[in-house]
Parts: sequence; structure tokens; C-alpha cells
Amino acid sequence: MIDDRSLLTGLIEALHVLVLQRMKDSQSFRLIGSIPEWFRMFTGTPHVTEAEVQVYLQRPFLEHFLTEAHEFWDTHTFGQLASGLWAEQGQDGHDVQFEADAVAKDGVKLLLIQRVGSGNFGLQAVLQTARESGLQHHHALSEHKQVQQVLGGKLEQSERLRDDLVMILDRLQIGTIMTDEEGRVTFLSRVAQELLSMTEQAVAGQPWSDIQAFSESDTLSLQKMLLRAINERLKVPVMLELGKGRRVSLEIDVQEDPRNTQRTIFFLYDVTEVQGLRGLLTEKSRFFDLVGKSSVMTEVYRRIQDIAPVDATVLIQGETGTGKELVARALHQAGPRKDGPFIAVNCAGLTDSLLGSQLFGHKRGAFTGASHDHQGFFEAANTGTLFLDEIGDMPLSIQTTLLRVLQEKEITRLGESHPRKVDVRVVTATHQNLEELVKTREFRSDLLYRVRVARLYLPALRDRREDISLLAEIFFGQSRTATKKFDVQEISTEAMQALIKYRWPGNVRELRSALDYALIHCRGSTLQPSDLPPECLTHSDVLTLMGIHSGLDEKGQIFAALKRAKGKRAEAARLLGMSRSTLYRRLESLGLPSKG
Amino acid sequence: MIQKKICMLGAFAVGKTSFVKQYVTGIFSEKYHTTVGVKIDKKMVEIDGQPITLILWDLHGEDEFQKIRASYLRGSSGYLLVVDGTRQKTIAVVEDLHRMAQEILGEVPFVLVINKADLSEQWEIQKDAAERFRARGWMVIEGSAKTGEGVEQAFSQLTKSMVDD
Repeated sequence: MIDDRSLLTGLIEALHVLVLQRMKDSQSFRLIGSIPEWFRMFTGTPHVTEAEVQVYLQRPFLEHFLTEAHEFWDTHTFGQLASGLWAEQGQDGHDVQFEADAVAKDGVKLLLIQRVGSGNFGLQAVLQTARESGLQHHHALSEHKQVQQVLGGKLEQSERLRDDLVMILDRLQIGTIMTDEEGRVTFLSRVAQELLSMTEQAVAGQPWSDIQAFSESDTLSLQKMLLRAINERLKVPVMLELGKGRRVSLEIDVQEDPRNTQRTIFFLYDVTEVQGLRGLLTEKSRFFDLVGKSSVMTEVYRRIQDIAPVDATVLIQGETGTGKELVARALHQAGPRKDGPFIAVNCAGLTDSLLGSQLFGHKRGAFTGASHDHQGFFEAANTGTLFLDEIGDMPLSIQTTLLRVLQEKEITRLGESHPRKVDVRVVTATHQNLEELVKTREFRSDLLYRVRVARLYLPALRDRREDISLLAEIFFGQSRTATKKFDVQEISTEAMQALIKYRWPGNVRELRSALDYALIHCRGSTLQPSDLPPECLTHSDVLTLMGIHSGLDEKGQIFAALKRAKGKRAEAARLLGMSRSTLYRRLESLGLPSKG
Repeated sequence: MIQKKICMLGAFAVGKTSFVKQYVTGIFSEKYHTTVGVKIDKKMVEIDGQPITLILWDLHGEDEFQKIRASYLRGSSGYLLVVDGTRQKTIAVVEDLHRMAQEILGEVPFVLVINKADLSEQWEIQKDAAERFRARGWMVIEGSAKTGEGVEQAFSQLTKSMVDD
């Protein structure tokens, strides 16, 4: 049998618990069992006495707990009151954790104090982990909030910036269409909606090429422009027909979204008003079909206005290609006969009999092949105007007849004997000096005096160079439409300079042909000097164009031209401004192979 | 020798233990050690030439795992309410603890410490929060257990109030 007392003592020692029993006086305690080792270490006292235990009980926490414990013992005969954990600094400077219990059992009041050992570290570790997790979660949330705030701020800033930009663009009346990577419309600004007469809802998510306001050719031009490198893109002119006669002229700038080059931004510039003003300016620089705002042309317009109302015969003089027929038409249009016919006849290169028949008509059987009665141009032009071009080339016999017609105002058809009254205004023109022809008896002087009652002189194009750019732009536009080369957007400054400098022996007619030629040859978006006919370029222009130093000798220049033309002789000749045969001759004279 | 019990009250990890450690030893540790139960420290001070022993009861942080035992507060001459400036939620905790302290202790001096002033750029607590508490008659100190800012001031103001009380 084991003694109960010795069992209790053994248990107390084994559990390292300081056990004290409250004495009857309620103020002092009696030690039960031995003093545990931890107590000695904590207090730093090797030989602890009961008196020292009493002092220990006066430490703040225990003193506080004992107040509660006494209340408990005084009111309970059975039960236990725990103090909860507390920590105090031991003699070694480290914190030591304790827990105390007040126990009541059948009148016995015990105070159990134990040092909390490793068994409690698990609880502390769990709490530590839980609270650290809580802190980490809080920090993560805080960072998340901060990032959210920063991003939110940036997004707001970005949206505000976008709104500001759209507002500025709207204020500037610049429409904006934005697309995604697939070319579907993601944004249509207010101005764009107005210009295209459609809502954003109607087009959002649709391919931009489906925008109905654009014609097929406009869409094609925009698609072609999109294929170009960004630095080679030009504004695409677009004319919108919006019904009820409303027309809008746009210039569309096709740009990439700088943040995503797969997305496209179309900037729509409304140039309707500009075009209108340009039209007005053009009108001021035009007189019927005549073009030019130079002082000489203004004088021509003034003279046409003077001459047009009177019925006098007119002689228009000017170099070939200056637009004499246009002046004749203007005289007709500006005069009282504008509702009558305008008949133009070129007198050059026709035999006298043929010309006579054409001018005055003939009776059936008048000559071989005259199978029926024929009305001549005089009769056809009755109440209107008959324009006789190249009158200096008119055969003398016809001149005589013409003189009589002009005097009598009646014609007699070939093969007939009775004259017919005609009411025709005759306008003549020539590039020749008729006075010189009179001297050489190639032109009747009396006819000369008769036809030059009113005179008009048309200046050569080289004498009104200030009109060249205007004419060139007009012909450029016409040629562009005729050749359907809508990719060609403009005439380069260099090319325009070359056009202005050239002598233009063929005058306006030659200028028009030169623009046709240039449009056909142009491969880029801008018409360059190299696209112009070679004769339009001076030798130094050609060399500059080719990047050939003008100091090169002829052989060097030819080599350079051949190199630039990649060995093609025809192209090299064109670049050098000479014919192919001339180039061959030069090559042979320089001892170079002209073939192969 | 006069002894005065001061309780440190606040949510977990607001820096109560660090505040006491900085006050008692002048040391600050970056590492967070959660307090389980109560940690008792002493500090001898002198107020108007009178030596006083402050018994500092650093109570564990109040959260869903540990609740403050009301009995721990008994006998306190004053208390420090500590909040973490970087955590708005810790204000609600001290408001609750303040109510509990008033129920148990009645009107005893206390000081509100808004800790972690060294992280003021991360504060969730509005800059005018201190003014709003002062408007309620509270003593408020913005401080940092890390730098020591406001630590001495908080305890000395509280102690002085306790002595005058």
C-alpha cells in the first residue's frame, strides 16, 4: 500500500507546482510538499524558506489574484478559480509565465502556482500565427486598397484626359472614330456622329468599313492608306452624300493608337467650308472655262465682257494651246447669242472644196458624192456663233467667199444660185501673224480688216506663270479622276517648281498633257519631278533629281542615269531628258555599248 | 512608496508591449510577439519630487481569441488606450475597452495613444482623428514605440493626472 501523504508529496514534486494552504487566520499560507525548482531559479534563492514564499505572494499579480481568491474561498466550499496567465521577469532577465488556481475542497483552501512550461507554448504559437496572419491580411488589404486607389486615380485621370481630348477635338470640330484590333468601331465622337449623320449605337461593334456614309471608293482609299507605313500616310479626301442635297467634304487622317498599333483612330476634318471658299476663290480665278487670275488673264476676261455683247466679228490671236476656242465659247456664252448654237470649225488641213461645202453647204448633185442636200456650218450656226479656228490656214478661194458672207450676211450653198440669209456671229482665231500672211499674199487683207473688228490676244502660258500652279492643280484633279489614281494625293513642291519654271511652248494644252503623263507615271502618293515628262525638267533638275552631281562629265551622268534606271535605256533617256535614239548615239560616241 | 497600477488596453498588435518596453527599457524590437495573459512591469518615476512606482499591466490584445478579464482592471489608477494608426479598426476596439474600463473603474485618468507615428504615411486613421477625440475631452498623444516619440509624454501625463486625481 502506498501512503496517501507520500503519494501527494510525490505528485506535487512531479508536477512542479507550488502548493500553499490558506491558514485559518486567512492571512498566511502553509507550504504543502516541497518548493519546486523553478521557484528557486525564478527568485534566485538557492535555499528558499516559507517566509520567502510569503514575500513572493506579495508580487503585484498574485496580490491582485489573492484578493479574488480570498473572496472565492470565503464564499465557496468547493470549486476552483483560475488566475489566468501572467508573466514576470525572472532574475535572469527573461520573462517567466505563471498560472495560479484557488481551490476549495471540504474546507481546505489551496493556492496552486505553477510555471507555465512548454505545454502552453503551443497555444502561444497558435495565437501568434493567428494574429500574424491577421496582420498580414490587413497589410495585404491595405496595399490592395492603395493600389486600387492609385489605379482608380490613374483610371479617373486617364478618363478625364480622354474626355478632355474628345472635348477639345469636338471643339475643334474634329471627328474621331476609334476601332479595336479587329477594325470594329469602339468609339464615335459627337462631331463624328454629326458629320456621318449616325449615332454611336448604330455603328458600335461594326467594322468601320461598313460605315454607310463612306462610298465604296472612299472606303477603298482609306483601306489603302491603312496599309501604308504610318509616316507615309496622308489625309484621304472623302465626299459624303448625306441625302437631301447635303454634301460634306472631309479629309480623314488615319492614325494608329499609340498604345496599341493594331487599333486605328480616324480623325475627320470637315473641310466643307474650306472647299466652299476654295470654290469661291476658284470662281474668281475663272471666267467660263478659262482659268487664271493673272493680270493678263483678268484683262482678257474684261475684254471678253466688252466684246461679247456686240455682234462684231472677232479675231483671237495666241500661240497654239493657249485656249482660243475657250475664249470663243466664252464670247458666245457671255453674249446675247448664248441660247443659239456654237459651232467650231478648224480651217487647217482641209481642201477648199471640202471646207467650202462644210461651211456653206451644198445641193444634192453639186459634186460627185453629194447624194443629198447638205446644210453648211453657217446655216447650222444660225442665231448663234461660228468659230473659225486657224483662219490663217483657210484657202484663198474660201477667204473670198467668207468675206462676201460676212459683208452680205447670206450664204449660197454649192450648186445653188439663190443666197440664204444667215444670222451668225463669226469669231475667228489663229496662231499665225495674219499681217505677215497678207504680205506674202496668203491671206486677204480685206478679210483681215473684216475679221479683226474686235481683237483679243491670248498670252502664252510662260507669260502668266502665276497661273501655272492653279491650272496644274485643276488638271491634276481632273487627271486623277480620269486615271482613277486616287492614291496620288498631291503635287510635290519640287514638281510644282519644275512646272512653273518650264517654258511651255505648247502652253495650257501641254500643261494638261504633262499632268496626264505624270499621273500615269506616278507610283507614290505624291507627284514628284521624276514623274513629269523629261522636257519639263532642266538638265540640272534632272541631275539633282537623280542625285547626280552636276559636276560630272557627260559619261558620268549617263552612267549615273543608267544605274538609277537599273540599266533600262529608255528610262535612262527619260531621266536625262533626251530621246532614246539620242542616248544611243551618245553611248556609241563615248564608245559604250548602246544595246544589251 | 506610492504604487500606481496602469493598464495597457488595446487591440492586438497595436504596440502595447513595445510601448511599455520602450518606456521601461528604452528598447524596441521589430519582431512582433503576441502577449498571452498579462505581463507585469514596474517603473519608478518621480512626480513633483514624489517617488512613485508604476505597476504596468500590459494586458493581452483584445480580439476574437482573447477577451480581457474585467478583474484585471480592478485597482487601476489609470490606463493607456493604444490604437495603431495604420489600422482604422483598432479605434473601435479601444472605444469598447474604454467603456468597459469606465464601468469597472469609474472616471479614472486615461490617455489615448495613436501609435506608429513613424508609419504616418500608411495611416488609415484620419489626420483629424486626434482632434475629434480631444474634442471629447480625451488626452491624445500621437507617438511611436519605435522611435520613442510621445512615449515618455504619454506615461508622464497619465501619471500626473493620476496623482492629481
